Amino acid sequence: MKKMVIGGIILVVVLMAATFFIAGDAFQGDDYINALTMLGALAIISITIATALKYVNQIKNDTATGELADENWDGIGEYKNPIPSGWGLIFIGTIVWMFWYFFIGYPTNQFSQIGQYNEEVVENNAKFAKVWKNPSDETLVNIGESVFLVQCAPCHGVDAEGIDGKAQDLTHRLSKEQVLYTIKNGAQGHGYNAGAMPPMMATGADAEAIATYIAGGMKGEAPASFATCAGCHGADGKGMNGMAPNLAGYDNTLVSKVLEHGKKSSIGTMPSFKGRINETQTKALTKFINSIQAGE
Amino acid sequence: MFHWLEQRPFFFAVVLFLTVAFAGFIEAIPDFAKASQPIAGLKPHTVLQLAGRQVYIKDNCLSCHSQLIRPFKSETDRYGMYSLSGEYAYDRPFLWGSKRTGPDLHRVGNYRTTEWHENHMMNPQSVVPGSLMPSYKHQFTNMADLATAYANANTQKQLFHVPYDQKGMPKLGSWKEAEAAAKAEAKLVAADMKNQAVKDAVAKGQVPEIVALIAYLNSLK
Repeated sequence: MKKMVIGGIILVVVLMAATFFIAGDAFQGDDYINALTMLGALAIISITIATALKYVNQIKNDTATGELADENWDGIGEYKNPIPSGWGLIFIGTIVWMFWYFFIGYPTNQFSQIGQYNEEVVENNAKFAKVWKNPSDETLVNIGESVFLVQCAPCHGVDAEGIDGKAQDLTHRLSKEQVLYTIKNGAQGHGYNAGAMPPMMATGADAEAIATYIAGGMKGEAPASFATCAGCHGADGKGMNGMAPNLAGYDNTLVSKVLEHGKKSSIGTMPSFKGRINETQTKALTKFINSIQAGE
Repeated sequence: MFHWLEQRPFFFAVVLFLTVAFAGFIEAIPDFAKASQPIAGLKPHTVLQLAGRQVYIKDNCLSCHSQLIRPFKSETDRYGMYSLSGEYAYDRPFLWGSKRTGPDLHRVGNYRTTEWHENHMMNPQSVVPGSLMPSYKHQFTNMADLATAYANANTQKQLFHVPYDQKGMPKLGSWKEAEAAAKAEAKLVAADMKNQAVKDAVAKGQVPEIVALIAYLNSLK
């Protein structure tokens, strides 16, 4: 018997050590679920082994004693063997609890799955705001890249180059064709204070000159016809602090307006991402897009 | 007391069953009755969308894609607002799915476009590198079954009182009207597509499966 007890203890220790060896790193961090699971495992192993030992002991040493009950079936009798009082009390307690749960506990409980979700969101947003209160530029680029890979990459491609023209190439601002298309068709619904851009504000050689100038990165002398554009987009093409879209690069206004309103252009339609990407993430996306601009 | 029960096993079993069943009953029924009502603003699918839904079932999309967004932050961040029971009130059968080899599609209409689906169905790896999804090229040449879709809608209307033909709801009408409406809707979808063979087929009054499927996916919002 002593041997068995010692064997049992050794088995418990070995099992626990093996589990810790395999999955011990799960305890690092602030998630208490793993520790709770481990505690449960410890309880199961100890109780199983203790119970097994008890009954092995009983089989070895017990003899039948006690008072026989009145019933017998073909000569096979039954000892009077009252239920353990602890078990009986729990049983009666459960019945009492059942009435409480039927009539008070369940009907008036306050748990709601959606309430739990709302709490989770509030908690998560607070944590997000706290952790990313003053992110460095490098952190923002990293956040931007993560958001980009989940939300944007399916259309713009993992390299952001637009998958062979299926979406905007985000490593460049505007191509000549895009500028010509917008001059010809105008633009609307992008949510800028300057309002909609009417079609055909420039034609022929003027439009060509403007498109070449913008697609070339707005280097050197602006063509005379660019004055038409400068009225809203500014002489430097940067959109006059958010009055109109920035033609020279991706700034935060441009990125957030496109995310909010979506876009229908010469390439196709981009859906709106309103409410799906928060302010910090938008800022991060802008930083990320600016970090991958193609050089000269 | 226990002797009395021990001697009546059938009676005991019946009473036990009733007790357990009653507990389940009073927990499940009130919530179920409330949650299975259609949510405000819910509209049944049009005939073209139903034809697309049948393509979705036929090509077994639901063995890899779910249509049920659970109320967890990680899911709503990626897929949008969590799903409500009432949103499925007109779905027969529902297509919740039980396994996500691919992403959830319950609100895919909010963040993917006709062009994207077209590229993706033709060659999934061209837009999602490393994707496991096979290509569904046959959808560009097979024609959708509008007649069955109409029968499906009409059955739902007659038998389950799904509110077609009511104010502000999709119009079903006769088969001729429904067919014309579905073809007109297909033209709108095809206008955003690039595949010339599909555009030609739609112009001729045919409806390739891909057009119906995209109409269905775009309606998932």
